[in-house]
Amino acid sequence: MTATAITRAAAITRAALAGTVTLEVARYLPGEDERPYFQSYDVPYHADWVVLDALNYLKDEVDSTLSYRWSCRMGVCGSCGAMVNDVPVLTCAAFLRDYLPGPIRIEPLANFPVERDLVIVLDDFMEKLSTIKPWIIRETEQPLDQGEYLQTPAQLDDFKQFSMCINCMLCYAACPVYQNDEEFLGPAVLALAQRYNHDSRDEGNTERNDVAWLDDGVWDCTFVGECSAVCPKGVDPAGAIQQAKLESTLGWYRSFLTPFGRR
Amino acid sequence: MATRTRTPTPYPRHRSRKWFLTRWPYQLFMLRELSSVFLAAYMVLLLVLVTQVHNGQHAVRNFENTLKSPGLLIFTSVALIFALLHTITWFQAVPKALPLRRGENKVPPGLLIGAHYVAMLALSAIILIIVLV
Amino acid sequence: MVRRSNEPLFWSLFSAGGMLAALLAPVLIIVIGFLVAANDVTFARLHAIVTNPVGRVVLFAIASLTFFHWAHRFRHVLIDVGLRRFNLALAAACYLAALAGTVWAAVVAFT
Repeated sequence: MTATAITRAAAITRAALAGTVTLEVARYLPGEDERPYFQSYDVPYHADWVVLDALNYLKDEVDSTLSYRWSCRMGVCGSCGAMVNDVPVLTCAAFLRDYLPGPIRIEPLANFPVERDLVIVLDDFMEKLSTIKPWIIRETEQPLDQGEYLQTPAQLDDFKQFSMCINCMLCYAACPVYQNDEEFLGPAVLALAQRYNHDSRDEGNTERNDVAWLDDGVWDCTFVGECSAVCPKGVDPAGAIQQAKLESTLGWYRSFLTPFGRR
Repeated sequence: MATRTRTPTPYPRHRSRKWFLTRWPYQLFMLRELSSVFLAAYMVLLLVLVTQVHNGQHAVRNFENTLKSPGLLIFTSVALIFALLHTITWFQAVPKALPLRRGENKVPPGLLIGAHYVAMLALSAIILIIVLV
Repeated sequence: MVRRSNEPLFWSLFSAGGMLAALLAPVLIIVIGFLVAANDVTFARLHAIVTNPVGRVVLFAIASLTFFHWAHRFRHVLIDVGLRRFNLALAAACYLAALAGTVWAAVVAFT
């Protein structure tokens, strides 16, 4: 057994014997508090508990004023994003045992205004998402009697990874460019633009790229890559953005060869 | 008793001047970006060397003595480490920007990265031969 | 046609420079910083390389493109550490410096 494995096992054993682990949760009540502060709670330690279980315990048994978002508790709805020890995670996927011995610091998702406690204002993301038209755009719909749109496995593979996005915004919390630039469209929005651009059924590339291929779109990204590292669904928005940069560059050169043609 | 009405005032998002110091991935990113400084600096050294070659054997000898100095040897060693950091991170990035397919199948990223290392080693060998042999 | 960005030009120079540097910089640093430094490379060979037409082109290309690689990356990292409001000035300074380096490289490599 390695040294880290032994230390971890010791921490888990200690917590199991003590029966509790300490959580430091960010609190903020708008209008009452000038700034967020930390409140310390001791929660029961269970080997199979996630941070969300601990929060639910706190709200049910200890402090009903604690506010946070959650829904499916299984990593598909994207509601429960938060900073746990400075890393953006889904609280339903963050096991207490991985943060022992504690205390475990829980804060609202970084780079967003805080509505209250762990609830953030996500209007910026929602507005930006709608600008890239995250739906299939076609000039004409195929008539019903022609049946479904057919797609080969290869065509599906072209965009499937980017379609796994659950809009949890962990990537925004990890992105230093988004932290410092309010105008940046951000990783998830750009990955979703790629998702539709690469869908063989879609004909909306030009419309989307008039938004995505601008300086506040893909060109703000400096490929830090943390967005892809924290994504709970393996979307790789960083890869999507680099691909878009390449496509944008090829299109830029092509536009000089066909100045009067459609780009 | 009148209830106090609260105007919701979201707490504004926090910006950190030193975000790149907070976690290792951000620090590594910063080192990767700084590698470009060392690369450019070494290209300056390259151009100085070529200038000295045009100036004659004596000039090259003097330049070689400068290159031998402890300061420059340290700089060379540091620059080499940064150059390797650049190479490793650059090759890792290629499959992300260029998802290639052969027919139905995706070309495995490892293959693409490996091909780049092969190219790098081959070119390095060629250059060493040209310079030394 | 809606406005597009001009970044693709600088990004292509950045990418070309990055690829060349990734492939060649380590060996060049070893050659210059260790082999030439140790007098292991004959003057005749150095002279042959820098007067060879292919050699001249390669030396010019790698120097110039590395300068543009640096310019683009450095400008963006300065933006990332909080100097976004100076974007235009930073871009001008960095790309003009790369251009100056390119002119110098041309003079050195081709005369």
